Amino acid sequence: MNVPVPSDPSMSVFCLHFLGGSAQSWDRVMAQFPSGLRGVAIDLPGFGEAAAGPQGYAVADMADFVAARIAAAAPGRWMLAGHSMGAKVAAVLARRAEDGQAGLEGLVGLVLLAGSPPAPEPIEAAKRQEMLRSFGGPAALRDDDASRYVEQNVGAPLAAEAARAAAEDVRRGNPAAWRAWLEGGSLEDWSARIGVLRVPTLMIAGEADMALGPAAQHRLMAPHFAAPTLVTLAGAGHLLPMERPDAVARLIAAHAAGAATGLEQRYQALIDGERMSERTRAVLRARGQPDEPGSPAALSAASFALLRAVAARVLPQPEPAAIDLAARLDAQLASGPGDGWRFAALPADAEAYRLALETLQAAALAEHGAGFVALDGPRQDALLQRAGAGALPAGALQPDALALWFQDLRSDLVRLYVAHPATLARMGYSGVFYGGDGEPKPGFAALGIGAREAWEPQSLQDATR
Amino acid sequence: MRLDGMRRHALTDTVDAVVIGTGAGGAPLLAKLAQAGLSVVALEAGRNHDPEQFTADELTAGEIYWLDERLSAGAMPQAFGANNSGTGVGGSMLHWGAFCPRADPRDLRLYSEQGVGTDWPLDYAALVPFYEEVEAFLGVSGPASYPWEPARRYPLPPVPLNAPAEAMRRGCDALGVRTSHAPVAAVSRDFEQAGHGRRHACIACGYCHQGCRTGAKASMDVSYLPLAVAASAEIRAECRVHGLERDAAGRITAVVYREDGVDKRQRCGAVFLCAGAIETPRLLLHLGLANGSGQVGRNYMGHVATQVWGTFEPEMRPNKGFPASLISEDMLRAPDADFAGGYITQSLGIVPVTWSDQVARARGLWGQALVDAVDGFNHVAGIGINGDVLARDENFLELADEVDELGMGKPLIHFGYGENERRMSRHAVRFMTAVWEQAGARDIWSMDRAAHTIGTCRMGREGDSAVVDPFGRSFEVENLWICDNSVFPSSLAANPALTIMALSLRTAGKFLSK
Repeated sequence: MNVPVPSDPSMSVFCLHFLGGSAQSWDRVMAQFPSGLRGVAIDLPGFGEAAAGPQGYAVADMADFVAARIAAAAPGRWMLAGHSMGAKVAAVLARRAEDGQAGLEGLVGLVLLAGSPPAPEPIEAAKRQEMLRSFGGPAALRDDDASRYVEQNVGAPLAAEAARAAAEDVRRGNPAAWRAWLEGGSLEDWSARIGVLRVPTLMIAGEADMALGPAAQHRLMAPHFAAPTLVTLAGAGHLLPMERPDAVARLIAAHAAGAATGLEQRYQALIDGERMSERTRAVLRARGQPDEPGSPAALSAASFALLRAVAARVLPQPEPAAIDLAARLDAQLASGPGDGWRFAALPADAEAYRLALETLQAAALAEHGAGFVALDGPRQDALLQRAGAGALPAGALQPDALALWFQDLRSDLVRLYVAHPATLARMGYSGVFYGGDGEPKPGFAALGIGAREAWEPQSLQDATR
Repeated sequence: MRLDGMRRHALTDTVDAVVIGTGAGGAPLLAKLAQAGLSVVALEAGRNHDPEQFTADELTAGEIYWLDERLSAGAMPQAFGANNSGTGVGGSMLHWGAFCPRADPRDLRLYSEQGVGTDWPLDYAALVPFYEEVEAFLGVSGPASYPWEPARRYPLPPVPLNAPAEAMRRGCDALGVRTSHAPVAAVSRDFEQAGHGRRHACIACGYCHQGCRTGAKASMDVSYLPLAVAASAEIRAECRVHGLERDAAGRITAVVYREDGVDKRQRCGAVFLCAGAIETPRLLLHLGLANGSGQVGRNYMGHVATQVWGTFEPEMRPNKGFPASLISEDMLRAPDADFAGGYITQSLGIVPVTWSDQVARARGLWGQALVDAVDGFNHVAGIGINGDVLARDENFLELADEVDELGMGKPLIHFGYGENERRMSRHAVRFMTAVWEQAGARDIWSMDRAAHTIGTCRMGREGDSAVVDPFGRSFEVENLWICDNSVFPSSLAANPALTIMALSLRTAGKFLSK
C-alpha cells in the first residue's frame, strides 16, 4: 500500500462562488489560508470578470468551464470549495472526478458552504420572482436591490467595504446568467447522477441561513456523501465566505490537512468497520470534528493567542494544521476533570497556565521588546527551551515552577494530539480496531516482531519511506 | 457487573461488616465473609461499569481512574490517576496490568539479610497457601515450570509473547540472562469463573490498563465480586466514605458516606478499610483515628519502575498482545548489585497516548522531534523493571490545607529516591540498555519512573511502630481492619496486586476465626 506523495507539498483549493458573487467573494478567506494551501477562486460564467464572457449557464456548462480550468492547472492534489450555487457545481465535478474523468485526478476533499443541493433547490416562488425582477433585467435598475440582496442573506451586517464590494458583484452579474440559474440550474435534478460520493466532505452551514441552513444541509445534502462532517457557524447567514472568512479559512485548512494524504480515507473505512466498538467509534467521530472557532473558555483572549503560538512550536503540525490543540486545551482547562494529580509547586491547572503564559510573555518583552507571538520561530523556541530548563527569570511563576508547567504543557498537548483520529491514521495505529460489539470479539493473532495482519494500516512514515 | 439481583440491607440494620473499597484488598475478603454467612456491605466510591463499554480510547478511559486531585511534592513528584489509581466497582483492579509475580522470600526479610529496610512480620510460607488459592481461583496463566521456583505450577498455559517480549528474550539470551513467560492474570483459554460464568480467552488487544472488555483479565468485577454477590454480599456504588462513628469504648458503630449528595450511616459490627495507600491513610488522618503510632501516612513507597525504550527496524506494534508477557527474576539479587534488594524485569507493551505522554514528559521531546517520535510508534518497544523501594522519612503523605468537596484535606504526597533507589535505577538502565542493544534496538533511551502506591499504614508486631498487626487489624480500634497496599511494611520487588489479594484472604480467615 503506497501513498503517492508529490514533491510539491502544497495543495490547491478551487473556490466557487454563490449566485451573484464572484471570485472576489473568496478574497478574505484565501488571505487566511496557511502557506501550504493555495486558493484559486474562479469566476463562474456570467459573473465577476466572466460576466460578459463565455455563454452556457446550465450546471453542466459551469462544471465544464471549471473542469477545464482545473485540468489546465494540473494541480496534483486538490480540493473543491463551493458556496451555495457553486456547491452544486462542485458536487457535479466531484462525481466526475470519482468516475475518473481525465483532468480531474487528485481530488482529495470537498467543502460545501451553504450548498445548493443536487436535487432542485427549494426556493419560494415569490422569492424567485423577486430575484428575477431585480436581476434578470437591465443592470441600471438594480443598485438598491443589490444592496438589499446582500443584506437579506447575512446573519449580521457586513463591514461597509465588504458590503459595498458584495453589492457591486451582485450588480454586475449577467442577467442571462441570473435567469438561467433561477429558472434552470437551481431546478435541475442531479440527485440520481451524483448518488453517494466517497470524497471526504465538509459541509458548513450558517445558523441563521433561512433557506440553506443546517436543517436543509442535513436533509438535502448530507445523504449524498459517505462520511460528511457538518459544521454550523453560530449567528452566520448565507454569505459565509464574507461573513466568517477566518472561520471558513480555518475549517477548510483543517479539512485539507485531513484530506492531504488519503491515509485518512482508508483509516475512516476501518473506523466504520466491525472491528471497532460503537462507543469507540462515537468518541473518535466526535473528536475528529473540526474545531469550531470561538472565544476561549478558560483563558483570556491574549493568553489564548499566546498558547496557540506556543502549541505551534511544541507540537508543530504540517500546514494546514488539522487540530486546533490550543482550543482543545483551553476547553479541557475549562471543563475537564483533570488527570488526578498536580505538582504541589503549581496552582490549579487553569491558573498555572495563566501565570506561566504571563511569565513567558514578560520574558519575551524584556529580552526582545516584543510579545512572544510576534517573535520568529527560533526566538520562540529559545524561550521555551529555557522555560523547560528552569532558566527563565522569575515572573508570575518561579523558574522551577515554570519548568514543571512546561512538562505539563508537553503532556497535555501530546495527549490531545495523539488521541485525534487524524494522528492515529498518520501513525498507522491498529490498536483501536479490536473487539467490535459482537461475540466472539476480534483481537490480534499476529503478535511477534514484524508480524502484521493484512488489514492493519501502515504509518505515513513507513508508507513514504 | 450485574448488581440488580443482590441482597440489600437497611441502613438501620447492623451488618456484620462494612468493606470500604472493592479492589484487590476489599474484594477477596468480601467474598470470604459473605461465603461464611456474614452480612456484609461494600461501599465503593466509583460507579459500576459495564465492561463491554470500556473503550480503546485512552482519554475516555479516564472514567476508570481516580481523578480527584492529589498534590505531588518531593524530589520525584508522583503521577496518580491513570498511573496507579482506579475507581469503580472493582477498584484499581479495573485498570491493573495483571502481571502477577509472587513476592520473593528474600524480600520479606530484607533487614535480616541485608541490614536495611524492614522485615515483614510474616514469611513466604505463610503467604504460599493464599497465593495458590488466588492463582487457582483467578486462572493465572504461566509457564509449565517457573525458572526461579521450579516447583511452582500455574493453572493455565502462558499467554503468547508479543514483539517486545520476543525482543527482550533475544537480548537476554545473548547476555545469558534467564527469562520466562510471565505469570499473568489473564486467561489464556476460556475459563469458568465460580460465581461469574465464562471468562473468554484473552484476545491480545493490549488494553488491560483501559479496562478489559472480554473478562479475560481477572478484574475483581469478573471474579471475587460476583462470587461475593452470589453469597449475598451487597455492593453500593458511588458511595464515598468520609466518616466513622464510634461508641464510648472507641469501637466503630457506623460508617458515614455520601451518596447523591446525601450523607448516610450504615451501622456495622466491623469495618474493613481497603481504599488503597492514599485514600486509606487520608481517611484516618482526616478523622484523627488509629494513629497512636504516628505511622499513618509515613513510609510512603512505590516501586523503582525505570523503563528503557528503543526503536527497531521491523514493526513492533507494541500495543498488540498482553503487554508484559515476558519476565526475568535474575536481577532480584544481581551479582554486581551495589544496592540492597533487587528488581524484576519485564517486557513492555504500551498504547500510544500513554507512550507519547512519556516521550513528551519524561524524555522531554517537543517540536519536530516529538512529532517524529510519535510517527515512529509502530517501531518501538520497551523493557522495564519493578524494584524494591526502601522507606524513607522524607517520603510520606499528609493532608493539604486545600480541601475537596467533602471537606477532606487533599492528599499531599512527598516522594523522592534515596541512594539505594538511585543505584538500583542506574543498574537497571545499564542492564536494560545492554539487552536492547543485543536485541537490535537503536535510538535507545531511558526514563526514571516510580510505580504503584505502597506503605502509609504499615503492619508490624508492635503498636508503637505500626498501624496494624500482621493480620491487618488496627492496634487501637478493636473492630477496624485494613487490607490494601497501605499495610505493606516494605514495597517488595513484585508487583503488589497478587500479594494484596493473598493478604485479603488471610485477613478474612483471621477475622472469621475469632
